[in-house]
Amino acid sequence: MGFYFIDPQTYEKYKDDILDLSHSVQINFQEQLPTDKRQPGLSDKQIAKKLGLEERAVREIRCVAERDKYPLDEFEEAIRFKENACRNYSVKGMSAVMQKFVEKSKE
Amino acid sequence: MTVTSQIDFEEAKSEIGAIAAKSGALVGGVAAADAFMAAPEGRRPSDILPHARSVFVIGGAQPRAGDWQSPNYQHMEVTSTSDRMQTLALKIARTIEDRFSYYAVCVPPGVDQGQQPFMSIAMAADLAGCGSRSLAGPVLHPEYGFMYFGAIITTMPLPADKRLDTPACPAPECVAMYAAENTTPCFGVCPIGSGGCLGGRLEAGHISDRQYDSARCSTRVQNYWVPGFQKLLGATLQEPDAKKQKMMLFSSMFSRTLWSMTYSNVSQGQCSECMRVCPVGLAHRTKQ
Repeated sequence: MGFYFIDPQTYEKYKDDILDLSHSVQINFQEQLPTDKRQPGLSDKQIAKKLGLEERAVREIRCVAERDKYPLDEFEEAIRFKENACRNYSVKGMSAVMQKFVEKSKE
Repeated sequence: MTVTSQIDFEEAKSEIGAIAAKSGALVGGVAAADAFMAAPEGRRPSDILPHARSVFVIGGAQPRAGDWQSPNYQHMEVTSTSDRMQTLALKIARTIEDRFSYYAVCVPPGVDQGQQPFMSIAMAADLAGCGSRSLAGPVLHPEYGFMYFGAIITTMPLPADKRLDTPACPAPECVAMYAAENTTPCFGVCPIGSGGCLGGRLEAGHISDRQYDSARCSTRVQNYWVPGFQKLLGATLQEPDAKKQKMMLFSSMFSRTLWSMTYSNVSQGQCSECMRVCPVGLAHRTKQ
């Protein structure tokens, strides 16, 4: 076919390792954390070097794996989550989660 | 055009800041281009503009207080104002080139072929003192809270600002809540351990650990957008029953996704729930 994509076998072989090494789930990613605590994840280039792959292949596998991680059901669940959270806030305001702490900070 | 040797860079910075403020920016600041060492290689200012010296950051175009009150979550999806900061960034880039004769480019607001930002505008805003990173992720301004940012990379050596002395997050209310209930508003509304995106810990009033599931966040923030479209298209193409396939193709989910993609120039934030419950900037979101 006329464009670059990864063959499924290569994808299955590397997708979990690449997701684990990447920024996909960010644990202590933020720059302001102390250097000894910060775990920024690896760039595609760094992952490629570690796994002996081409950078482009890593990038393609990561992009597909990030999309593949959650099924379509999760997108439907997202609608339910947002409907509930938004409606809850519109009814209860900050009391939905923390009104008493907001009021205490005003005292 | 000003001759380079005659430029007072402090005055030039004030002039650019005044243009930004007059054009609607709530905040502005400068980060030194060589301060982005925590950014991955390939995503630093000089990777976009060779010989970059400064990054001018602007912030503003917040959703209105009323937007946050709507009981319809879809309202926030179609009232996004982030593009106003990008338009203003283009104006400032043009001012720098025409008025001061230095190169200037806007940081593109979209993503590259690896689905990642060309450069972290959030990092630029943090370094320029326009706000600080939050537990939920977005940069928050101590007074205004959540806002949209734009960034202009330039070869002009503008005097850099410094990061905030006191981060906007966690807010005192969140520190108190964490002490009492071991959670914060953003963690509470979207907990990573219960199908959400966010987790972490506070220690001595500061963020000590943070977890963020960006893949799950994408299902919420880009619910009716490119990721959702790819999923829907895949499922619909695989459906062998033509009548059922029609139901999928014409479904509200598929149709809304296509609408959403047509009226989005770059991106849309389609989930705001962690920010809706954030107390930083609450006074500006509270009206009668």
